[in-house]
Amino acid sequence: MLYIIEDAINGILMGSIYGLAALGLTLIFGVLKVINFAHGSLLMVSMYVAYWAVTLTGLHPYIALVLVVPVMFIFGYLLQDIVIKPIFKAEKNVREPITVIIVTTGVWYILDNLTLLIFGPQYRNLEANPLRGKMLELGEMLISVPKLWGFGAAVLTTLAIHLFLQRTATGRAIRATSLDREAASLMGINAYKIYNLAFGIGTAIAGVAAVALVPFYNVFPTVGVLFDIKCFIIVVLGGLGSIGGALLGGIIIGLIESVAPQFMAATWTEAIVYGLFLLVLFVKPSGIFGVKHDW
Amino acid sequence: MTRNTLQRLLPLALLATVLCLPLAVRSATYLHIMILVYLYAYLTTSWNLVGGFAGVLPLGHAAFFGIGAYTSTILSLQYGISPWLGMLVGGVIAAAVGVLIGLPTFKMRGAYFALATIAFAEGFRVMVENIDKLGPFALNGPRGLQIPPLNFGLAEMMFSGKEPYYYIILIMLVAVLLLTSFISRSKLGYYLNAGGEEPEAAMALGINVARAKVIAMAMSSFLTALAGTFYAQLNLYIHPKSAFSLDLSFEIAFIALIGGRGSIVGPVLGALLLRPVSDFSRIYFGDTLPGMHLIIFGVILILVMTFQPRGLQEPLTRLYERLLDRLSGERRAA
Amino acid sequence: MILKVEGLTKEFGGLRAIDNLSMEIPAGGIMGLIGPNGAGKSTAFNCIAGVYAPTAGRIFFNGENIGGQKPWDLCKKGLARTFQIVKPFASKTVLYNVTVGSFATCERRSEAEAKALEVLKFLNLHDKKDMLSGNLTIADRKRLEIARALATEPKLLLLDEVMAGLRPSEVDEVVEMIRKIRDSGVTILLIEHIMRAIMALSDRVVVIQFGKKISEGEPAEVAADPNVIKAYLGDEYVAS
Repeated sequence: MLYIIEDAINGILMGSIYGLAALGLTLIFGVLKVINFAHGSLLMVSMYVAYWAVTLTGLHPYIALVLVVPVMFIFGYLLQDIVIKPIFKAEKNVREPITVIIVTTGVWYILDNLTLLIFGPQYRNLEANPLRGKMLELGEMLISVPKLWGFGAAVLTTLAIHLFLQRTATGRAIRATSLDREAASLMGINAYKIYNLAFGIGTAIAGVAAVALVPFYNVFPTVGVLFDIKCFIIVVLGGLGSIGGALLGGIIIGLIESVAPQFMAATWTEAIVYGLFLLVLFVKPSGIFGVKHDW
Repeated sequence: MTRNTLQRLLPLALLATVLCLPLAVRSATYLHIMILVYLYAYLTTSWNLVGGFAGVLPLGHAAFFGIGAYTSTILSLQYGISPWLGMLVGGVIAAAVGVLIGLPTFKMRGAYFALATIAFAEGFRVMVENIDKLGPFALNGPRGLQIPPLNFGLAEMMFSGKEPYYYIILIMLVAVLLLTSFISRSKLGYYLNAGGEEPEAAMALGINVARAKVIAMAMSSFLTALAGTFYAQLNLYIHPKSAFSLDLSFEIAFIALIGGRGSIVGPVLGALLLRPVSDFSRIYFGDTLPGMHLIIFGVILILVMTFQPRGLQEPLTRLYERLLDRLSGERRAA
Repeated sequence: MILKVEGLTKEFGGLRAIDNLSMEIPAGGIMGLIGPNGAGKSTAFNCIAGVYAPTAGRIFFNGENIGGQKPWDLCKKGLARTFQIVKPFASKTVLYNVTVGSFATCERRSEAEAKALEVLKFLNLHDKKDMLSGNLTIADRKRLEIARALATEPKLLLLDEVMAGLRPSEVDEVVEMIRKIRDSGVTILLIEHIMRAIMALSDRVVVIQFGKKISEGEPAEVAADPNVIKAYLGDEYVAS
C-alpha cells in the first residue's frame, strides 16, 4: 500500500511537470485557435539550451532559468512572427486554420531533425548535478526532490499566468483577442502582436518546464515527441484553452503512469491514457472539469 | 490540333508513358521509388476525400492503413485467404472504424477532430504492440508479421519482380483519381465542400453536414485500408511501427497541403515532389545526415504554404493551361 | 396558415430571449418582423429555422409541428432561410453556391445546375455566375444569399436583414426582387431594420420587444401604435 502511495505522490509531482509543459500549448491554442504541433520540439530545444547552459557554466541547474526563459520567449516570439504569421494572414478568412496547424508540424520536423544533425542521437544528462537522484525521505517513502521542485514551479507558473491574464492590461488584451479577434482589432488591439506575445509566453513556459526536467530527465532530439502527445492529451482532458485544466490534466496522466503499472504490464498504461483521452473526447469534449474557458 | 483534342490527348499520352515506364526503367530501385510515389499519391487522394473536400484535418489515417495491412496478412497467413479478398475485408473493417471515429468527432471543432484521429491511430499502434494474440488471430505484438515468399502469383498478390506491383498500384491510383473526380462533381462532393467551408449555411441549404462527412470518412478509410494490404504484399513484412506509423499520417497531410488540398491533381503533384526528395535524400544522406529529408520536407512545406497557400496545383495548372494555349495556338475559351 | 407559432419561448441559461410569442403567417404574403436591437428577432428566426430547439411552445409549418427539427430537414420540407451575416462558399463560384442549394430537391448535377441557372436568371445574377463568390460586392453577396435559399424551392422563405448595409438604390432593387419572389408563390417572413422597405413590402407586421409581441397589424396601423413608437423612441425611423 505504501508503495502505491509513494508512486502516487511521485506520479502527481511528475504529472504537474507534464501539466507545466502543456500549459504553454493550451495558452497558444486559447489565443490562436491553433494546436501547436511544434510545442514538444520547443520543449526539446529548451532542454538543450538548459543542458548546455548548465554544462558549460557548471552552475546550479535552476539558475539556467534566467537564461532559458528569455531565450525561449524570443525564440517563440520570432517563430510566430517570421514563420507562422504570414501563413495566418494568407488564411485569414478560414475558420479552422488547418494550414497553420500543418506548418507547425513542419516546424516540429525541422527542429527535431536539425537537433539530430547538430547534436547526434545520443542521450545526454546532467550527471554531476546536485539534484540528480536526490530523494526526500518521508517515513518509509522516497519522494524525488527535483520533481518536488518541478511541482512547485508548475503551481507557481500556473498561478502567475492566471494572474497575468486576469490582472494586467496585456493579459486582458490577450483574453480579448482569444474571445473575438475581430472585436479586439476594432478596439485597437493588434491581433498579430498578441499572437506573437502569446506564442512567446507559451514557449517561455515550455522553457520553465525544461529547466524543471533537465536535472533528472534525459535530453535527446526526439524527447519532444514524447511530451507532444502527452501534452495534447492533457489539454483535452483539462479542456482546450483552460489554464488550470492543464495542470489538473497533467496530474491525472502522471497518476495513471505511476500507479497503473502496479496492476498491469507497464506498456498497457499508454493504452489506458489513450482510452481515457478518447472517452473524454466523446463524452465530455469540453474537458473533465467542464471548464470551457476559464479566462 | 485544336485545344480540345489536345486537352483530351495529353492525359492519354501521360497514361501511355507511365504504362511503358517499367520497360524503360530497369533499375529496381527507381521502380520502387515510382511505386512509392503512386502509393502515396493514392493514399493522399483517399485522404483528400475528408481532409480536402470536407475541410477537416484527419491526422490518423495510419490506423486504416494498418488495419488493412494486418487484416489481409492475418487472413492470408492463418487461413490461406487471398490478399485480394483480405483487402476488401480490411477495407470494410477500416470503414467501420472510420465511421466510429467520425460520428462523435465531426460535431466538434476541427482541433478536436485532428487530435482524436491521432489518438485513435496511436491507440491502435499501442494495442497491436501489446497484443500477441487477439482471439484466434496472432498479431505477434511488436515483432510484427512476416509473409514467407512462397506462393508467387497474381492470386496471392506476391511477385518476385517489381513490375507487377507497379501496375497494381498504378491501376489503383487511376481508379481512385477517377472516383474522386467523379465525387467532386456529384451531390456528395458539393455537400462536402459546402459543409467544410460554411457549415451553418450548408445546413440551412438542406445538408446534413455531419452525415456527409461520415460518408466521406467511410470511403476514405476503406480506400486507405486497400493501400495497407498492397504495402504488406510489397514488403512482405509489417510491424506496428511501420503499419501504424504516426509519420505516415503526417506525411499524407504534408503531401496534400503541398500539392493542393481539395484538388484532384494536388495529391499526385505533392507525392511526385515529396516522395523522391525523401527517397533520394535517404539514399544519399541516410548515413551522414540522418533526418535530412524531414528537414527538407519541413522547409518545402513552409515555403509552399507561405507563397502558394492553395498548394502547387494552382500555379502548375495555370502553367499547363498556358502550355495548351501555346501548343494549340488557341486561347482558352473564357 | 403556412406557419403558425404558438407560445414560443426560448431561454438561454435562465435568460428569456423569446417570451410566449404567437403569430400566424398566411400563405402567399409577406410578413414583417421588426423590433429594436436585441428584441429577439433573430432568436425567433433561429427557432423557426431549426437552429435552436424551443424551450416551450409549438411551431407548425403546413400543419406539422416542426419544433426541434433540424435545419436540413426543414429545408427539405420547404422552409429556407438567409443569414444576416452572409455566408457564401467563398472559394467557389456563384453558380456552385446556388447549385448547392438546388441539390436539395434533386440528385443529378446537370439537373441541379440547370435549376441554379434558372434561379440566377430570375434574380438577374446570371452574368456573374462564374465569379468567385468571395469576390462579390456586399449587395451581390446578399443577392446570392437569397438565390441560394430560393434554389432549394422553398414554400416559406425567411429573410434575415437582407438589406442591411446596402445603398438606397440597392435597397430598392432588393425590394423589387422580394416582390418578384412573392409573386412566384413563395411566402416570405422578413426581418428588417430598414423601415421604408418593411412598410413597402409587408402585408402584416409583427413588432417584438424584449422577446414579447407588442403590436401586430397592417404596416400603417403598427406605425401609428403608441407602444411601437415608445419602443423605438424614434431613432430607428431616422436610420433610413
